[in-house]
Amino acid sequence: MSADPGRTRRVFFREAICRAVGETLDAEPNAIVMGQDVGAFGGSYKEFYGLFERFGPARVRDTPVAEAAMVGLGVGAAAAGLRTLVSITYMDFVLLALDPLVNYAAKARFKTGGQIRVPMVVKLTAGAKGQGVAHSQSLESWLVSVPGLRVVAPSNVADAYGLMRSALQADGPVVYVDHKRLFPTSGALDDSVHEVPFGLAAVCRPGRHASIVTHSYMVCVALAACDQLAVSGIDCEVIDLRSLAPLDLATVCTSVSKTGALLTLEEGQVVCGIGAEIACQVQARLGPVRVMRLGAVPAPVSSNPVLEAATLPNAARVADAVRRLLMEG
Amino acid sequence: MLYKLLLPGPIVDLSEVRVLEWHGSPGTQFNPGDLVVELDTHKAVVEMRASSKTVLRKILVEAGEWQRVGEPLAIVSDSADEPVPERAEDLPQSSATYEMV
Repeated sequence: MSADPGRTRRVFFREAICRAVGETLDAEPNAIVMGQDVGAFGGSYKEFYGLFERFGPARVRDTPVAEAAMVGLGVGAAAAGLRTLVSITYMDFVLLALDPLVNYAAKARFKTGGQIRVPMVVKLTAGAKGQGVAHSQSLESWLVSVPGLRVVAPSNVADAYGLMRSALQADGPVVYVDHKRLFPTSGALDDSVHEVPFGLAAVCRPGRHASIVTHSYMVCVALAACDQLAVSGIDCEVIDLRSLAPLDLATVCTSVSKTGALLTLEEGQVVCGIGAEIACQVQARLGPVRVMRLGAVPAPVSSNPVLEAATLPNAARVADAVRRLLMEG
Repeated sequence: MLYKLLLPGPIVDLSEVRVLEWHGSPGTQFNPGDLVVELDTHKAVVEMRASSKTVLRKILVEAGEWQRVGEPLAIVSDSADEPVPERAEDLPQSSATYEMV
């Protein structure tokens, strides 16, 4: 189908990622993709489907199951002049690649006085969806404190495209976190080539009584909770952070100033989580406000689907947290 | 005999898919095993193939359009001369097979 700027068409989440990556490979002869099954298989979630056929095995490269080597190669190639996208399907395994990511990619610009840049995107898939303790985690809060690293996490098709476009134009390393439960989703995507800038949160539901600040798949959970709360007359605002580093505190504070109550929501752990950072920074700017943090319970995500569900926030738990937050006031 | 060709399901996690390509037009006759239509899902192309001699009579969901799982995609019949009704809802279900590729 030919592009028709101004027209939107409905696409699957994977197709939004694929389009952004394909446009970059088209425009930049130095851009390459690396990862397990990114080649002929088309990506673990088919998010690179068709790119191997279009751009060939030299630019869409399958790698061994060796995350430290994958990111190490990505850093080195980027420092030497390529633009690299390294895909690690399960976010859990970025732990094997923290040394090249944190000690080399994120620091190269600082260590060389700006002479070496590392235009590399590391794409990770977070979240629990029936795959057990070591394939289900949401570890993005581990990465947001690294100077030199930018971390983004889309919750919908349009942002999946726009944030990937921005990530592939950045002159330093970007961690792009998607989510297993977002891949079955679809949504409208404009045909025009465009970006979603980093550091800009989105108000995806306006409301008056409380601000739910969240990201990635938990945006969907928050919106479902809002529907439950609306029945009892509670009207919540939902802020989709989109970008975790840098954070858009201005949008969050505008919302919390209006509602006077903040619920942070994430699928990862609450301790030292994204919500802890948001809560602290919001109160530093606004003074005391009603705050509650919600995330996974302090336990590994189980392989048992009943226990998996028991460990994670869902719409009912979010709604309950909002009610308790408002009662505290 | 006329049938509705249903979008097969359930598909785990998915309520709607997109028609990728029809491999025929109204009047096309398919033999058992022939590819009738390809569907785009969130992670694969699904092929629907005829399980018996079938004539495609009316396409209800064109390529590029979306349909809900369990809803009709087309009206098919055993022979080409049966008059096609306006609505597919009351017709029996075609026994087309499908496979992920």
